[in-house]
Amino acid sequence: MKHLLTATALVAALSGMAGAAELTVAAANVSSYLDPGKDHSNVGSQFYFNSFDPLIHKDYSKADPEWQPGLATEWTLIEPTVMELKLRPGVTFHNGEQMTADDVVFSLNRMFQATFPPYQVRMRDRLSNFDHAEKVDDHTVRIHVKREEPLFETLLNLQQTFIIPEDYTKALSGDPKVAEDSDYEAFAMAPVGTGPYRIAEFVPGQKIVWERFDGFWGEQAPLDRVNVIQVGEVASRLTALRTGEADIATNIAPDQLSTIEADPTLKVVGGATPLFHVMIMNQNHPKLQDARIRQALMLAIDRNLLNEALWLGKAVVPDSHTMEEFGPFYMPELKTFEYNPERAKELLAEAGYDGSEITFDTQGSYYTNGMLAAQAITEMWNAVGIKASIRDLPKWSGNDPEMMARNWSNPMYFNDPFGSFGVMWAPGGPSQSEGRFNTDETYAEIWDRFRFSKDIEARKAAYAELMDHMAKDPAVLPLYRPYESWAMRTDLNWAPKPGHIPYVLDFRAGSVALTN
Amino acid sequence: MITLALRRLFRAAFTFFVIVTLVFFATRMSGSPLDFIIGEGLSAEDRATLIRYYELDRPWWDQYRAFLGALFDGNFGLSFIERRPVSTMVAERLWPSAQLLLAATAVTLLLAIPLGVVAALWRNSWIGSAVMSVAFMGYAVPNFVLAVFLVLVFAFWLNWLPVVGNGTPWHFILPTVTLSAAMIAAIMRFTRNAMLDVLGQDYMRTARAKGLDEGRVVVKHGLRNAGITILSVVGLQIAALAASGSVVVETIFAWPGMGELLVNAAIRRDYPVLQFGVLTVALAVILINTCVDIAYTWADPRLRRSGARR
Repeated sequence: MKHLLTATALVAALSGMAGAAELTVAAANVSSYLDPGKDHSNVGSQFYFNSFDPLIHKDYSKADPEWQPGLATEWTLIEPTVMELKLRPGVTFHNGEQMTADDVVFSLNRMFQATFPPYQVRMRDRLSNFDHAEKVDDHTVRIHVKREEPLFETLLNLQQTFIIPEDYTKALSGDPKVAEDSDYEAFAMAPVGTGPYRIAEFVPGQKIVWERFDGFWGEQAPLDRVNVIQVGEVASRLTALRTGEADIATNIAPDQLSTIEADPTLKVVGGATPLFHVMIMNQNHPKLQDARIRQALMLAIDRNLLNEALWLGKAVVPDSHTMEEFGPFYMPELKTFEYNPERAKELLAEAGYDGSEITFDTQGSYYTNGMLAAQAITEMWNAVGIKASIRDLPKWSGNDPEMMARNWSNPMYFNDPFGSFGVMWAPGGPSQSEGRFNTDETYAEIWDRFRFSKDIEARKAAYAELMDHMAKDPAVLPLYRPYESWAMRTDLNWAPKPGHIPYVLDFRAGSVALTN
Repeated sequence: MITLALRRLFRAAFTFFVIVTLVFFATRMSGSPLDFIIGEGLSAEDRATLIRYYELDRPWWDQYRAFLGALFDGNFGLSFIERRPVSTMVAERLWPSAQLLLAATAVTLLLAIPLGVVAALWRNSWIGSAVMSVAFMGYAVPNFVLAVFLVLVFAFWLNWLPVVGNGTPWHFILPTVTLSAAMIAAIMRFTRNAMLDVLGQDYMRTARAKGLDEGRVVVKHGLRNAGITILSVVGLQIAALAASGSVVVETIFAWPGMGELLVNAAIRRDYPVLQFGVLTVALAVILINTCVDIAYTWADPRLRRSGARR
């Protein structure tokens, strides 16, 4: 029995030389459903790009957007609020249907004019400026927006605007001519797209199998088959790499990196994820209404020390709510947040801090290093004279009036500050409607310039003003961009690309290769 | 005998009712599934829309009535997250868990009872001490530590055995060893003690005096009498394992079983899955206990007679 697995792996490798290129990914999590329209979770984001296409693609190897034809080959603004798109001919869905203008209009309007509640949520938080899509002819569609849209291409590149087949979806349940909520629910268990891999098998929370789709319109997928299996325990994921049961393992904790580095058959790729772990503060809590107290809470936190201690220095501590993946909107010159414990003490004295307890909420192990960060932060608060304690809660407390401060994450849902800061901190958005963040007419006016200015510099200037506003009356502090890594066989060339949202497992042509 | 069985079944049904009621209320007190259905960052308007869509605004008594109704019509609803019938989800997971349970039980019975007898017969020699030392280790080491140790040695270092899933018979080895270790230790100790109790009995001396060979004395007169005690412990151990013992092991070995399903459902407040899952496990435990009770009565002539009289 000795080296049974090595022998098995050898046989598999030999069969691989005969032509079958197959990969197995040991993933920390496999989705519970697959619907690019309703999903914006970090778990789900891993899986859509291989099987679905947007109308407008881009060069994903770059953070700066270089738009490329996707399911649309040309797009032109024919009026300030109307974009006309010519559709790529000869596109086939995984179920054999030809893609038509009707499919595109259906896919877009299911989001723009959403009636299915989970789609309504995504429509409201990022697509609310879109009015409707209409068919002009079999290969032409027009998209109408309510106001001039500076992010037209960006938003037509989103996972939520990937194209799905109309007839197939409508026929999944009930009346085959009508799109019912139950059709969308059923689609999430049997998803069909136009991408280079079809989803051959999906067992929620356990397994996804991709198979190369020979009818793909673009360059053929390099792999015949990819198996993604859920292996929740990190030690088991790493062991699966050693035993040959997996070729890539996702979500490797920093403390496991030395184990991989010691093994010549394995390597690790990783970097700072386009996502912020943040601390939020409740502007409306009676003890925190004075902005100086909240400023002191921020100034007392040594984020670089958190990075050194918790992430072995591999995370990225930002000076503002900005990151390279914003492309032209990356603004490293902004110095919104800093560590200055002496200033924190002064502000506490000025504000007449009465020594009352300030609590920091966290949800056990929900965020990697979340509890450790909470412990360190409360100690840092204690060091400047704040009486601090942790509330370890089993649930989200962002909508609890008792919440004073807590951890959260602000992912980058698309490559623009609107896709990160914007989704969470818009006037009337989640933070405000949960009652812990206030906006006024001034903020709304700045916001409007940031969101809708057509000139890049005008948008950047408005974003700088928003950051300035946040420094003066703080509600959020980005702690760091956590380090995330993938371990794999040394002969495998794969790495996350900066043009993608976090965690995308991109196995398209040009994104993955075996070196021998 | 029949009266006793019926009484046991009635008691089981009552226990079952109490468990499902507790689960129903306990899950609802611990939080909302909304943050896990769509993701974080819901506005108040979105939250209200989703509460209506998922019918989380139905009064609790209405939901409870529907839940009790499901016990009769079998419609336990859809998972909040996966939006497919919870009965399908549980059915997918039940057999892998049952397979692991059966494998662990078989290994336990094959090893624990003979080792317990050996420990009793050679109680004053190094053999008995060695067997009991191993038993104490099995007791003392938690299964998650043992699992990680086995993974480290047999998969990570030696590369002998797989660790992910349940695809081949080889996949059964490490999780089965992990699960059965504590059970073997417990049943071995009980077997030893039960055997020590009977070894000194008069009927054992009589059997030997009749000239029966030692093997026959031990098995037919000793083990058969000790068996009644052993049986009840075996039942308890299997029931405990079915109820909760495999959660950690299933997570470490990515075993697609009930434990992983229930833990995830609890974390995400997926009430329908949790309710039906716990209900299924409770039913399994009650069935195991009832079977053991009935077998116990059958195995012990004294109980059989007293049951018949009552």
